[in-house]
Amino acid sequence: MKSSIRISRRAAVAVALGSVLALTATACGDDGTEGGNGAEGSGKGEITFWDNNGGVRTDIWKQIIADFEREYPDITVHYVGIPAASAQSKYDTAIQGGGLPDVGGVGTAMLAGLAAQGALEPLDDRLADSPLHGHLSENLLQVSKAAGGGDALYQIPTSANNGTLWYRTDLFRKAGLDAPTTWSRFYEAAEKLTDPGRNAFGFTIRGGEGSIAPALDAVYGQTGITSFWNGDKTTVNDPRNVKALEKYVALYKKNTPSADVNNDFTKMVAQWDSGTIGMLSHNLGSYQDHLKALGKDKFRGIPNPTLEDGRRVQVSNPVDGLSLFRTSKNKAAAWKFIEFAASHEENSKFNESAGQVPANTDAAKDAWIQSSEPTRLAAEALNGGSTTIVQLPYYLPDWNTISKADNEPNFQKLLLGKITAKQFLDTLADQLNKAQAEWKQRKG
Amino acid sequence: MITEIAPAPGRAAAEPARPRGRRRRAWDQVPRWQIYLPLSLYLLFTLIPFYWILLFALRPAGSTSLVPWPLTFEHFEKVWIDRSFGVYFRNSVLVGVSTLVLTTLVALAGGYALARFDFRAKRGFMLALLCSQFVPGALLLVPLFQIFASLKMINSLGSVIIAETVFQLPLSMILISGFIRNVPPSLEEAAWVDGCGRLAAFRIVVLPLLRPGLVAVGSFAFVHAWNHFLFALMFLSEQGKQTIPVGLNTLMSADSVDLGALAAGGIVAAVPVVIVFAFIQKWLITGFSAGAVKG
Repeated sequence: MKSSIRISRRAAVAVALGSVLALTATACGDDGTEGGNGAEGSGKGEITFWDNNGGVRTDIWKQIIADFEREYPDITVHYVGIPAASAQSKYDTAIQGGGLPDVGGVGTAMLAGLAAQGALEPLDDRLADSPLHGHLSENLLQVSKAAGGGDALYQIPTSANNGTLWYRTDLFRKAGLDAPTTWSRFYEAAEKLTDPGRNAFGFTIRGGEGSIAPALDAVYGQTGITSFWNGDKTTVNDPRNVKALEKYVALYKKNTPSADVNNDFTKMVAQWDSGTIGMLSHNLGSYQDHLKALGKDKFRGIPNPTLEDGRRVQVSNPVDGLSLFRTSKNKAAAWKFIEFAASHEENSKFNESAGQVPANTDAAKDAWIQSSEPTRLAAEALNGGSTTIVQLPYYLPDWNTISKADNEPNFQKLLLGKITAKQFLDTLADQLNKAQAEWKQRKG
Repeated sequence: MITEIAPAPGRAAAEPARPRGRRRRAWDQVPRWQIYLPLSLYLLFTLIPFYWILLFALRPAGSTSLVPWPLTFEHFEKVWIDRSFGVYFRNSVLVGVSTLVLTTLVALAGGYALARFDFRAKRGFMLALLCSQFVPGALLLVPLFQIFASLKMINSLGSVIIAETVFQLPLSMILISGFIRNVPPSLEEAAWVDGCGRLAAFRIVVLPLLRPGLVAVGSFAFVHAWNHFLFALMFLSEQGKQTIPVGLNTLMSADSVDLGALAAGGIVAAVPVVIVFAFIQKWLITGFSAGAVKG
């Protein structure tokens, strides 16, 4: 009896431990890393495409894929929609763990990181031999190349976004104000449209996640400084920029809701769409939200205000595009898909749906752009001679950390008056200068 | 005005007389509004976000009305049909229920071993279980990804179910072992004397007494698997395989958010959890308090 109890005890312990260890064993195991340089492939078969803005763009991508599969019946594209906020981590995990796609949607903000990890295939030669050559915006190609580190082209641009000043035409009309086309008109309108007693404000400022780029846009736009670098040092803490930032953040609480300190774009857009706020600085991406909430007659979207002399200076906005992954086993088919998606007809279709500026120069001339005022004005601003773009250093591998984790909390401190504009910009400049020096050293 | 609340006659007769000290009297003499007002304020504070979600989900797009009128279900239709939430819902149910069943079964076996047997590595094993709770899931993403890739399980709901189960097991096992320890071994021994084997004695005598514990552990596993985003995002790619938390995230693009659809999606995601908690709250509270006594 005693021995049978002992045996059954042992058996029970063994079964219990075995089952637990079998499951916990998944936390330590073999190396399944998918590495290597992939292969050109036959140009037929299956490819996988990761959409870095899945959900909202799913329908249009599925249309493009259907068109592609009609054109190339021997290639099948597997679509994977990834939530925009998680795209970077999904790519990073796949780089480490394997399972990268053949083609992926990659914005300039994550291009440097992916290129630095050796995940992307250079596309310069493929583009030179492609029918796309000469039909993509040179400006955007330059941005793409610079964002990938400057040595090679790692992204075929598909769309450009642009900083847009959305304003409520009904409120402006009522107050007898002109459109905020210059910075002085912008500040005047912010002041006149504010009436805290009626919960009406002239402007809503982005104080939470994503606050740094809009703040820099406002700063460079007001001072007219046209370059982010002066030699090896950034111009971000130039005394003129400090003064401009002081003026901009002084709007907080005076002409903006006090809750703006926590504004990410979601809150900011929702607040503007449902309240009585005169102006909102965002990009073209929120056009459909405004249209649904306000109807087409109550608002307009114009490029950032100009200086009094008519010059417009703005910081570069992220450029979205498609990249070919080095580990692809079917690069020929993957490239055909990229070429097809960036072609005149498909690029036009995509950008009309997304409300963005097409990278394909033929698509940029299509009729729909003329009827979509914010996109048309953005396209004119991007390609017009009076606009100077200050290129933000997306190529720095540390850019995302510096512009998000390191300095977004500081911007909130600045809004709350806990640090000065000079302290904020000096800290930012110090980090950028170090990152730039490190990047140059690494590049040799 | 101070109101004296007299005890109900029936209840007063049934309950034994309790010593009513000064503190107890003082508590009874607190005006009701001093209790209900803060509770109501707290409730208001808690419920306003829920009202906000309902409002956005039920009023038409573009409306600024503070009441959901005219009532519309367009956002629910959009997320359920256009945004494939019907599919995500089915996948989430599959992942949640499978995780619940697997976690409960394995935790029962492991918990029984920990509660009833002494073996050499027991203390070390318990310590390892506890320590595993300090490891965030994100840290193990890459090795898990590699293992599932080599098992050809990427893009299979099985990978998410296994990963969720693995992460639920340590705490579940510790909890279950606490419940089993509370059941006197003499009950099992009596069943053995009556001719039951160990398994039959466990099934007939011990298992019914573990109901609160099983409910606590099972519901915890289900809710965690239902809400968990990371594993589903990383291990599943095909749209037809994704779960509700991933679906919710796809409603927010880089520059634009459809708040009506997001609110409707949030309600679809929350309803099963609320229903589960509504049904099991009695056992859940008993379960957690009983399991918390001994570990």
